[in-house]
Amino acid sequence: MAKLKSNEPSGPVSEKWEKHKFDMKLVNPANKRKLKIIVVGTGLAGASASASLGELGYNVHTFTYHESARRAHSIAAQGGINAAKNYCNDGDSVQRLFFDTVKGGDFRAREANVHRLAENSVKIIDHCVAQGVPFAREYGGLLDNRSFGGAQVSRTFYAKGQTGQQLLLGAYQAMMKEVEAKTVTLHTRAEMMDLVVVDGKARGIIVRNLLTGELEKHAADAVVLATGGYGNVFYLSTNAMACNVTSTWRAHKKGAYFANPCYTQIHPTCIPVKGDYQSKLTLMSESLRNDGRVWVPNAVGDHRPAKDIPEDERDYYLERKYPSFGNLVPRDLASRNAKEQTDLGKGINGGLAVYLDFADSIKRLGKDTIEARYGNLFDMYQQITGTNPYESPMMIYPAVHYTMGGLWVDYNLESTIPGLHVLGEANFSDHGANRLGASALMQGLSDGYFIIPNTIGHYFGSNDLGKVTTDAPEFDEALNNVQEKINQLVNIKGSKTVDHFHRELGLLVWDKCGMARDKAGLEEALKRIPEIRDEFWDNVNVTGDGQFNQTLEKAGRVADFLEFGELMCQDALHREESCGGHFRTEHQTKEGEALRNDDDFCFVSGWEYNEGKKAKLNTEDLTFKDVPLSQRSYK
Amino acid sequence: MLKLSTIQKKQIVGITGLAMVGFVLAHLSGNFLIYKGPEAFNGYAKFLHDLGALLWMMRAGILASFLLHMGFTINLVITNRKARVNRYYKYQNHRSESSLATQLMPLSGSIILIYIIFHLLDFSLADKVGIIQGIDYGLYGLVINTLKDPIHAVLYIISMASVGLHMYHAFQSVFQTFGLMSEKNQPRLVLASKVLGVAITLGYSSIPVYIMMNF
Amino acid sequence: MAEDKTITLTLKVWRQKNAEDKGHFEIYKAKDINENMSFLEMLDVINDTLTLNNQTPIAFDHDCREGICGSCGAMVNGVAHGPVSGVTLCQLHMRSFNDGDTVVIEPFRAKSLPVIQDLVIDRTAFDRIIAKGGYISVKTGSAPEANDTPIEKKKADASFDAAACIGCSACVAACPNASASLFVSAKVSHLVLLPQGHAEKKRVVQMVDQMDKEGFGGCSNAYQCQAACPKEIKVENIARMNREYIKEKSIR
Repeated sequence: MAKLKSNEPSGPVSEKWEKHKFDMKLVNPANKRKLKIIVVGTGLAGASASASLGELGYNVHTFTYHESARRAHSIAAQGGINAAKNYCNDGDSVQRLFFDTVKGGDFRAREANVHRLAENSVKIIDHCVAQGVPFAREYGGLLDNRSFGGAQVSRTFYAKGQTGQQLLLGAYQAMMKEVEAKTVTLHTRAEMMDLVVVDGKARGIIVRNLLTGELEKHAADAVVLATGGYGNVFYLSTNAMACNVTSTWRAHKKGAYFANPCYTQIHPTCIPVKGDYQSKLTLMSESLRNDGRVWVPNAVGDHRPAKDIPEDERDYYLERKYPSFGNLVPRDLASRNAKEQTDLGKGINGGLAVYLDFADSIKRLGKDTIEARYGNLFDMYQQITGTNPYESPMMIYPAVHYTMGGLWVDYNLESTIPGLHVLGEANFSDHGANRLGASALMQGLSDGYFIIPNTIGHYFGSNDLGKVTTDAPEFDEALNNVQEKINQLVNIKGSKTVDHFHRELGLLVWDKCGMARDKAGLEEALKRIPEIRDEFWDNVNVTGDGQFNQTLEKAGRVADFLEFGELMCQDALHREESCGGHFRTEHQTKEGEALRNDDDFCFVSGWEYNEGKKAKLNTEDLTFKDVPLSQRSYK
Repeated sequence: MLKLSTIQKKQIVGITGLAMVGFVLAHLSGNFLIYKGPEAFNGYAKFLHDLGALLWMMRAGILASFLLHMGFTINLVITNRKARVNRYYKYQNHRSESSLATQLMPLSGSIILIYIIFHLLDFSLADKVGIIQGIDYGLYGLVINTLKDPIHAVLYIISMASVGLHMYHAFQSVFQTFGLMSEKNQPRLVLASKVLGVAITLGYSSIPVYIMMNF
Repeated sequence: MAEDKTITLTLKVWRQKNAEDKGHFEIYKAKDINENMSFLEMLDVINDTLTLNNQTPIAFDHDCREGICGSCGAMVNGVAHGPVSGVTLCQLHMRSFNDGDTVVIEPFRAKSLPVIQDLVIDRTAFDRIIAKGGYISVKTGSAPEANDTPIEKKKADASFDAAACIGCSACVAACPNASASLFVSAKVSHLVLLPQGHAEKKRVVQMVDQMDKEGFGGCSNAYQCQAACPKEIKVENIARMNREYIKEKSIR
């Protein structure tokens, strides 16, 4: 077990980034053109990085498996983006955003990174407004803010329920401008299949052209991964259908450490699963909890329709257990409590759903007010479920939403493979064990617009990079491995679909490594996953050939999830504590709250791939100087 | 022609179309003189004729508008057909009412073209002789005698209905093409367009009806 | 809770191996479809059956399945994104169909949106149009304080409404001329309505020129696009684009 070094600069936390920016090495503008950077992914982090690196004059090659860069799943973020502007004069500051994020993350994030994120938040808003992001405005023409879970100030900027869309389009457009200027070369329908490491440094990738099926070799001086999270390991999640772990997993197998894979965020307000056919889950914005009351029937087996259950036979369990925060407890608590109720058999019709009831609010504020606040969400709910939430309460249930874990990176966002930088949800860096609402967009853009343009120059300035072309034997070796795997997949011609295995894996990890985990369950999952994997490689049916083939694309991604799932469970089993999104039932207070173990687990787990054997653990110790360690309480 | 964008071509179609709307209205007001009798009607024709060079300039203007309107329309139709080379097995049109006029633009336009040819042969290029009960009433008589024929009259009315239909789409469309349409004023412009189309159809059609009833 | 209703449909689906293939319709029976399924989930079920019979599944683009990424889309019974207005194909649910219905599924068609396979089309033309000016040129780090420039709320809202475009190309698919005017004008409107985007006057001309170059048709003001748009983008934006175009061309 080795200790990982964060490489953060010395000095007070609030001065680190400024100091570091001055200390870092620079690249001469004339030389930037000669340096080629590969960026994988075109979500907020990837598109903003591509745009900014292109502006600086680097030779950027950007890859996405989508048909257009604008389709990345950042586009679906609804709520908003935090920034410490203090426009509301309610006492917000960089310091407070920093504090809230560290605390919200249950003290499992790196302080220096979080502070830098809070500093950058302010510049992100300036930049996005200048780019033409149509944020919501007040009548006077200035920017509007709203409040969000986990904070006592209003610091969330938003564009209706489509903030992610507008921010992504801003970054996408900025990138397309660079495409036109020929500093960025965009490769669409191109999926990264492997990372190529030459002389210990990341020097290229193997890409599958999804249209022709051809494998391509691309060499570069540095590689940036911005490929999102791994929430789809659970099969059902709010992630888009194609979201996958392949790029980060392949990088992991080439030597990048995977950090904290057990930190997954379960969002409390999603539309419940309806049937076996269900392909994905839909999030209903967290803002609904401002006016909706969560309840279940008092009695197990009470299957009467909601309107027939009298007031005194209802259990408003969040209000009962957390009188001061009520329905507005943080995401992890709201989710876990819903599970607790349904585990008791008190779910609606005994199933996996609880009510989110607006009847009181409609009575108090009138239907018009509720419609003005949540009209689009209510419409969406009705579209999907076919029931009218103005008349009968919504049914909701938690669903996998975001993954805090990811490839381990140092302060420069560089992984344990020199030259491989990781941005956005794909890295582990800023959210600790639980992410606060409206912070994902902030992190993606901070990484892409403001951090990587600085730190990648430092990498170039401090390393003597020899010339590497795709003729290097490492490229052929990687390409052949990928080709072999593809050949294998299309030749199995078994009797089960790819989705069958994905669903089986998803159900298993949801059950054993979802909202609550325990030793026995995790051990069982660790036994089952290799079995499912073996059956997959024995009996999956990938129809068609090696050309444009959506089944084959899916199969490759599921194959990687089947390996990754094991690491996730291993990490969950190893972390003998409860923190944020990781709740081990063995570690809870008498009241059933998460119980951290700061003495033994105040570190980041960085897992090292170990061919054919269990992954090896390396750790980065976390120290909390500016936000003292404390137990969260929302009673 | 190649250097112009589709928007510019459409704008040329629009502006020339608008010029022709002016012509159609002026022509209609002239036609109404038929109700005042042969002196007024023929007098107006003579007045126009006596304008000499000015009349020729006006004619040239109208002809140019007409040719540009048609030329660019045909050019755009070719472009649009090429863009929509792949047709659907099943296609449902969305807006029933206004889109009918829109869909029928090529048909109404073609009818108008054929009509204009016959109209020129019937009146403008014909000898201005119109004998009614043994007396030559000149152009006035020619108009009466021509439109007295029910087949002629019906074809004339169909043609005028085509003009009206063409206007119904075209007039509001011009506002859109020149960027003057907004969500707010759209219903009013569509209504104005409808009124104009109907008024032009009724105005012109009233003449053959009047002639058939009185001669 | 009552049992979910199921329906049985006859699907007539466009199958096309690749861009060169002529393509043809294939008939499939969709049996016992739960009416709470989304349209794409119904296709998933068909594809599962096809796979298990060693046939090639129907290819279709899709990703977020919540109506925002713009990946999905097909003509369903001759209507872009199907019979419910204001939603994308992934948000269409099977309760919008009746037992026994025949459903014709075709790809979005246009010369500039060639079919890649089955219902998958190539929309890269849209990206090339955006690259010609669908942005505000601001270098990272050079932006002034965000609240320095107030923006009239009405304009900011109108800008947002135009910016809601998801680039799905239903407008092109529904247009008798296969024009991309609604798409292009939505971007022009989004940016020109903001003071930040006002300075770049050539945007509209460059984007329109690129649209023409890509082989999209011109606008004949038939407004089919507005009816087809899942985000309910208005043709008012096309008027604004035309206006900006004249302004730029006549002032130069």
